[in-house]
Amino acid sequence: MIKDIIEKIRALTKKSIIFRSSLIAAWAAILFLPFKDIKTAVMMFLSVLIGLSAIFFVRKSNFYQTFLEEFHPDFPHRFRKPALIALLIAFFVSPFILADYYLDVLIISGIYIILALGLNVIVGFAGLLNLGFAAFYAIGAYTYALLNTKLGLGFWACLPLSALSASFAGLLLAIPALRLRGDYLAIVTLGFGEIVRLTLNNWDSLTNGPNGITGIASPSLMNLSLGRLEYFYYIVFAFVLLTLAIIRRVESSRIGRAWIAIKENEIAASSIGINITKYKLYAFTFGTFWAGIAGTLFASKMQFVSPESFTFIESVFILSMVILGGLGNTYGTVLGAFILALLPEVLRGVQLYRMLILGLGLVLLMIFRPQGLLGGGKSVRIRN
Amino acid sequence: MLKLTSINTSYGHIRALKGISIEVNKGEIVCLLGSNGAGKTTALMTVSGILKPDSGDIYFERESIKGLAPHLIVKKGICQVPEGRRIFPKFTVLENLETGAFVSAVQNFNKNLERVFSLFPILKERKNQTAGTLSGGEQQMLAIGRALMSNPRLLLLDEPSLGLAPILAGKIFKTIAEINNEGITILLVEQNANAALKLSHRGYVLENGSIKLHGSGEELLHNEDLKKAYLGI
Repeated sequence: MIKDIIEKIRALTKKSIIFRSSLIAAWAAILFLPFKDIKTAVMMFLSVLIGLSAIFFVRKSNFYQTFLEEFHPDFPHRFRKPALIALLIAFFVSPFILADYYLDVLIISGIYIILALGLNVIVGFAGLLNLGFAAFYAIGAYTYALLNTKLGLGFWACLPLSALSASFAGLLLAIPALRLRGDYLAIVTLGFGEIVRLTLNNWDSLTNGPNGITGIASPSLMNLSLGRLEYFYYIVFAFVLLTLAIIRRVESSRIGRAWIAIKENEIAASSIGINITKYKLYAFTFGTFWAGIAGTLFASKMQFVSPESFTFIESVFILSMVILGGLGNTYGTVLGAFILALLPEVLRGVQLYRMLILGLGLVLLMIFRPQGLLGGGKSVRIRN
Repeated sequence: MLKLTSINTSYGHIRALKGISIEVNKGEIVCLLGSNGAGKTTALMTVSGILKPDSGDIYFERESIKGLAPHLIVKKGICQVPEGRRIFPKFTVLENLETGAFVSAVQNFNKNLERVFSLFPILKERKNQTAGTLSGGEQQMLAIGRALMSNPRLLLLDEPSLGLAPILAGKIFKTIAEINNEGITILLVEQNANAALKLSHRGYVLENGSIKLHGSGEELLHNEDLKKAYLGI
């Protein structure tokens, strides 16, 4: 009896587009009901229904089918270069066009892109789940903050120092932690993240505890302060490009190949003579290096650091960027970081619901595209 | 060429190898036979360094390789084809082979690649195909080809016929003989005792972690005890 009804509904969902869309829309509306009145829920229902039906109809249409057949195989590649150039120009001129608020948002998303690219090396390439990445971000930020406020060192002198100290912390954690695999490694990195945050929070004499460190200098060049948003934007922009260029190079090198081989199959990798431990250590130190760079940029941008910015949620947020974009795909990671960093700002108008929408979006992504937006393939193709 | 002397290897408290001694001479095919859990794979993993023996010694060309890390053992010229076709599924066939050449000198690359392609012409045809989409037999060929890319002098093969149709298994055994003819010494672990013994110069039969029988391939093939106890023919 009940079985028959379920069978019928299932058949109907397959056959009728409208029915399928209205089921999904009803689910979305019910999710919304507790937060707003019935009117909003009905609006939600209608908009999802119309949107989904439109998508399904277009997908079924002849036009889309011929489009797929004609363009699909090399469609993304054909437009890759012009699209990248257009993007670069757009980002280059944006300080002249955009208001300070948007510039600010872009700077923060640039910092997140560097962070996510670094984490992608560890999680995406080498396949080592790291849930404490914010710790290395914090180490980078605090190294700059302390060297600057206590010793008066400048931004450019501190940048390599804080990147290296984050990297060194990565190495120190990796040496014992890499004896563990998978979930166990994830738990150890999570613990490390908390240890770093709690240390920063409680070491009052050095880090000023939860009050944080204030009065951190902005970068400057030959006595010219680069603290103005436009200048700082270009600094972050340059660092994003630098990070991308270097990571792409390493990814297509012998080292990158070894990382991906280890992720694909550890036993096979070791059977053909790849030194597993060594390359895992490389991944940890190389990935955390960029967290140090991002931390320094963050500290000099905010001119203030406190342990609050480096919580576990922050680590998860960075990991979500990597997963959203597509594990192991460099361009995907950039896209994921950009979207997730921008989203809270875009959704500021619906303040109350933005975490709900974010969560819902991630759940839907995991159902419909578990490999991430650009995941699935590799970003580096070796041509023959 | 390879000599194991009273090797003991354990997983935790469980002793899997109880003082086995095996010798492989240059140019030979030697097979290890035995039922499930006899310690065949453990013996191979101990040679390739993935497992560390508790006691005993392993010599490769008169040099002790006991306790060396796996990647150093590959550099010495021993390469293992692990059980169950552990290829890199997302790499293309060519990328798999390239990665196999990780420890060998760059100038040998083309020569090694040519050799693999002449042994397995199908791999040349499919060189740009994603390895995960190959059939089981092709994946096994790729796994062997990838090991050959490191230019080994001793090849360790762990159940190359596992899960293959008889005709494909036969093809793989033929190729193993070809590889051996090119001067590569082979230590083979097999469940398909009949086919393996026909191919091998010598064989060892393992039972519960120790060596039960040992002799030339011909001898073992006609040994009545072995037939009854193990081969079931």
